[in-house]
Amino acid sequence: MRKGVLFLAVFLSAFCMVGSGDAGDTIKVGFVDTYTGPATTFTNDVLDGFKMATEKINAKGGVLGKKITYVTRDDKFKPDIGLTMAKELILKENVDLLVGTINSATALAVSDLCKKEKIPFIVTFSKSDKITGEKGHRYVFGMNENTEMAGRATARALSKKKFVKYWIAGDDYEYGHAIANGVFNHLKTLNPKVQLLGQSWWKVGETDFTPYITQILAAKPDFVIVATGGGGMVNFQKAAQSTGFNKKVPFYQHTAIELSTLSPQGQNAPEGVYGTANYLFYFPDTKENKAFVEEFRKAYNRYPKSGALYGYMTAQFIAKSFEKAGKVDREKFIDAMEGMTLPSPVGNMEMRACDHQVTLPMFFGVTKKSPKYDFLIAGDIVSVPGKDYMPSCAEIAKVRAK
Amino acid sequence: MDFAANLFSTGTLSQILVGLSRTTILFIVSSGMSLILGVLRIPNVAHGSLYMIGAFAAWSVIQFLGGGLFAFLAAMIVAPLVVAAVGFVLERGFFSYLYEREHLMLLLLTFAFMLILGDLVKIVWGPEYRSVTVPAFFQGSAEIFGLPLPWYNLFLLLVGPCIAVFLWLVINRTDLGKLARAAAVDGEMVGAVGINVGWIFAFTFVLGSFLAGLGGALIAPMVNISLGMDHSLIMETFLIVIIGGLGNMWGALLGSLIFGLTQSLGILIWPQFGIAFPYLAVVAVLVVRPRGLLSSTW
Repeated sequence: MRKGVLFLAVFLSAFCMVGSGDAGDTIKVGFVDTYTGPATTFTNDVLDGFKMATEKINAKGGVLGKKITYVTRDDKFKPDIGLTMAKELILKENVDLLVGTINSATALAVSDLCKKEKIPFIVTFSKSDKITGEKGHRYVFGMNENTEMAGRATARALSKKKFVKYWIAGDDYEYGHAIANGVFNHLKTLNPKVQLLGQSWWKVGETDFTPYITQILAAKPDFVIVATGGGGMVNFQKAAQSTGFNKKVPFYQHTAIELSTLSPQGQNAPEGVYGTANYLFYFPDTKENKAFVEEFRKAYNRYPKSGALYGYMTAQFIAKSFEKAGKVDREKFIDAMEGMTLPSPVGNMEMRACDHQVTLPMFFGVTKKSPKYDFLIAGDIVSVPGKDYMPSCAEIAKVRAK
Repeated sequence: MDFAANLFSTGTLSQILVGLSRTTILFIVSSGMSLILGVLRIPNVAHGSLYMIGAFAAWSVIQFLGGGLFAFLAAMIVAPLVVAAVGFVLERGFFSYLYEREHLMLLLLTFAFMLILGDLVKIVWGPEYRSVTVPAFFQGSAEIFGLPLPWYNLFLLLVGPCIAVFLWLVINRTDLGKLARAAAVDGEMVGAVGINVGWIFAFTFVLGSFLAGLGGALIAPMVNISLGMDHSLIMETFLIVIIGGLGNMWGALLGSLIFGLTQSLGILIWPQFGIAFPYLAVVAVLVVRPRGLLSSTW
């Protein structure tokens, strides 16, 4: 019995020590993200962008006299590992807040944990709209666009085109279906004349798209919405180039115009592919964006991709929110972050108070060759501001009430 | 949706040809796996990693030679040789010490090598995607009933039968091939008559690795070369080897044909569920002939 009481006392005091973790002279950020496998092409940019911003902040004396430090954990793209790592970061590393991850399932699991532990969690790359939509809560923030936002922005741009007969094709998993349906369903409400001719779905990691392409061509649609992600983007574009698909039928891929999709293919990427992206290092051609690109190139000797912007802005939001909160307190941090507006390389970004989702512009463009670069870039860029395509606060309240 | 109309449309022939070109890659890789499985009795889980190394090596060769048709053809020879060398090191350095032990040990070792080789590729080539382009010679596509069939796919259609004939010659017409076949049936007996079974095993493993590397090099221009491409392939290869009959080369060919064709025709008939067709075919085969279509060497 006495042993039991002693154990309980030790346990409780240990727990209290964990709880009052902000006694140190640093603000500690825990990164749970995928640092093995193909996803690293996106996640390394997030970390590098974050590092670049915090180094600058720390050099100027940090925030509230404290330096921002970070620890990383590799979730290997697996939700169970990600959750274990998040727990470890909270309990052992005693982090003040968490940042991550590219895997939507992991992000949702960690988000749930953070809700229980009352730890702020900033989602940097996973695209599920559930994170700040249906499953959103006080402790989670979205620092990038999601499938719902991409769908709405694209539908807006496509509704101005004359295409009628659509075909949907994509990766047969959450992301693929979410993007494709997001685009088509919103398009249908904006332009009731459009019709869906058919759909094809392939397994994630499909390498040979030629049989799908010939089949889609035989059906003669006006426009094809191709919902692939990650490595599939390049695979599909290669098949489109070798079959001449892009010359026969125009098609769209979210992130088709992003550097991570176009740079590995060099001059041989297909021209005329419609795509959307949150960030392009050459657009908008503003002083702020140029300065960001210069700084990033000097630090890492490459052009920044979308992830670099997300990581960079995550650090800015963290620093400014703690500054506004006046002390390292998680609840005050969240209050400060809500509704905060910060300048970014692509214009002002607001962290909406109603759903903790950042407002980002979406760039809609078409791939083309450029004499300036040895890879394709986007032309005819239309910038859709965040407020024009994001779900309204009323809509968010509705899905959360479900 | 009218399935019959889809099947008997002008797209069918084009779809069959596309399916056959896919079959080629599957056959090249799975024949290597089947060979190793038949002779060495190892279900080589690291076979996909060898295929991945083949693709990355092809990228390096093409990069080194500055692209073009010559660089491409050189890569098709050099990359598989590099992979064969890796296979040689694996077999002589590690596997050869475990043949006397349980098969489970070998299986675990191949699994370990899958992880190790994956990390090695990451260290050597980095985590970014790599991409090589189809050489100008093969760019563009032929028209079949108004539908495009890329020249590169047609090239693969030529390569497939050549590899099949080559393998047939090696296995049936060379002494080493004959010994390998004998060792597959009764390794102990072959050893008893004074033949060094170890070297037959090494030869088989190197040939199997070469084929994996060739598959990787051939697919390089069609896909993004990235970490993880081993995982997506290994599953299909295993299924092909199983439905064809463990260790049977012609079984590997038959399995690849079933896999490639059911997929491309499945896409034609019902595009929304195209991915399910090869797996349905696998189930059908396993229900009718659980030991595979052709006789297994096990």
